[in-house]
Amino acid sequence: MFVPTPPKDNLSSNLLEVRGLTVNFETVDRSVEVLRDVSIRVGKEEVVGVVGESGSGKSTLAQAIIGVLDIPPARITGGIVLFQGKEILPSSDGKANFRGKGINMIFQEPLTSLNPVYSVHDQMEEAVNIAEPKMEKKEKEALIRNSLREVMIRDVDGVLNVYPHQLSGGMRQRVSIAMVLVQKPNLLILDEPTTGLDLIVQRRIIGLIMSLKKEILSSILLITHDLEVAAYMCDRVYVMYAGKVVESGSMKDVLKKPLHPYTTMLKNSVPEGYVNEGTLKVSSGAPPDLRHLPSGCAFHPRCQFANDVCRSKIPELKAQKDGREVACWLYE
Amino acid sequence: MNEPILEVENLTVQFKRKTKLFKAGREQERWKKVLDSISFNIKQGETFGIVGETGSGKTTLARTLVGIYRPRECRIRLNGKHLDLNKKEDVLLLRKNIGIVFQDPVGSLNPRVTVSEIISEGIPDQKKLSERQMEAKIMEASELVELPGSKLESFPTELSGGEKQRVSLARTLVGGKKILVLDEPTSSLDVSIQAQILNLLLRLKNELSISYIFITHDLNVIKHMCERVAVLYYGQILEQGNTYEIFEHPRHPYTADLIGANLSFTSNDGFSAARESGEPSREGCIYQNSCSKKFLQCEKPPPTFDLGKTLVKCWLYDYAGGDHGESVDGRNGGSNGASD
Repeated sequence: MFVPTPPKDNLSSNLLEVRGLTVNFETVDRSVEVLRDVSIRVGKEEVVGVVGESGSGKSTLAQAIIGVLDIPPARITGGIVLFQGKEILPSSDGKANFRGKGINMIFQEPLTSLNPVYSVHDQMEEAVNIAEPKMEKKEKEALIRNSLREVMIRDVDGVLNVYPHQLSGGMRQRVSIAMVLVQKPNLLILDEPTTGLDLIVQRRIIGLIMSLKKEILSSILLITHDLEVAAYMCDRVYVMYAGKVVESGSMKDVLKKPLHPYTTMLKNSVPEGYVNEGTLKVSSGAPPDLRHLPSGCAFHPRCQFANDVCRSKIPELKAQKDGREVACWLYE
Repeated sequence: MNEPILEVENLTVQFKRKTKLFKAGREQERWKKVLDSISFNIKQGETFGIVGETGSGKTTLARTLVGIYRPRECRIRLNGKHLDLNKKEDVLLLRKNIGIVFQDPVGSLNPRVTVSEIISEGIPDQKKLSERQMEAKIMEASELVELPGSKLESFPTELSGGEKQRVSLARTLVGGKKILVLDEPTSSLDVSIQAQILNLLLRLKNELSISYIFITHDLNVIKHMCERVAVLYYGQILEQGNTYEIFEHPRHPYTADLIGANLSFTSNDGFSAARESGEPSREGCIYQNSCSKKFLQCEKPPPTFDLGKTLVKCWLYDYAGGDHGESVDGRNGGSNGASD
């Protein structure tokens, strides 16, 4: 009897797949599309970046995946999210609520994500209880200490007994990483993990995340506005503008030869040279107000290549060579 | 080059901390040195960068330079004239000449008045001017900062972050100020907007030959904007001098750590996450608790050594006229500056 072999498509190697996700924020009198048909995928042991400026929808994307989006005002109007082949969104109540079960998230400001009225030890214990409910108390204790040592905290006893506000920004972020570590997530979402930290601390946290990734974590989805951080950490990158993915590809290729004019502008905006080495090549204008999106391609008012098609029709994300994608009429 | 237009010598600012628990407790007065003997100078048309991390005293320095805080000790020379910052006239003279753009554009613009009124605040001797002259000045300033005329009657809340910073800039430029203190002017902006503001600042500098004191924590911005730079660490300038020299051959271990930690599109080395920063030391060299090059001498406070192109406050350079070529560059030595 002939048994057809199951098609070996990309799906099986994808840890996370978001297909056509559309999210609206609704108020009494209007509805604003914050994410417009966003599709991304994260492979196993891959570090994927989502880069964009404020208002691009990158944080909403992360919140939708992990299910902490406030519904309402947000409403998921379309698209599905697959994690390890299973559909986690849409779910019956409209939320994914997937925390602690394979996906974990580290937020930008650890002071708001850590509970101010519990000591570090108590919060760590809670995380361990969720991850390893059957473990004995002694083992749990050992796991907590081990995980704090893992994130390069030297004075473990000192840190365990204090409250989050008594720690410095870098230490807080280390604690929130340690809490995530005990749960051994398959996918870690980092939402601006180092924004607001000092340079040396930022670099240490990034170094820490990357070294832990090698040992324990399998995949990372990094949400950032900082192209340099993304360039340092990511294998692949998605560039978002006004709620849409406008370009994707391997980080190296995108940096070397950006296809979308917005990516080019983003790259040129980062000062690299010394003084008197010329001005930065950047066009005028600002990211659009999502309530009043320009017609056609949202970037066209700032784009030097804009023509009539760009003003009237929204470009679709089209595959290019080397596994890259770009949503721009220049590449039709 | 030409004479410095602003010279600051031994600027020291202290904040009083009263520690008194409840009414019955004994009141104690403690002073905390936020800036400790800062000296630098700026020439006309030059951008002088001040880089430092949180708590290094960057903002205190900015505010002291425009007379918001009163320094405990300071010798300031503006265009060759000595100023005494404890005298009211001298502070007014300082404010007339030095403008400031604050980090937070929301907090520094009055939300209840229109943009044109905000800009007009910066015009000196308003009583001598007719309304039309005022208007012309406001228009001129807003054109300088590329702010569309239609925005002049808007309120600050209607503006984007970049436009707010342009208004702040126009307010200082309308008074014809030649020295601007820019306190993290682009930190709250998106990168593409930051790039627009940086371009604008460069153009204004060339057109009007203004001098900037550019305060930021962003090394790439410093590198792009400044001819000379000072590295501030908990109130002390550890190293200052030519930007290229400092970035390519950082002498002070802290500068090396800082520059080694900076990410650019080309960084791919393994920066060690292992080392924790120590607290700033109260005695001796302030960086000794975090320094990888610490030795016995560091127990004593280091003087500032002049190495020609840079001034360094570190005992490593305590040799009379020796070889100045050696640098403690964290990048060349691999994990050199980062390991335990």
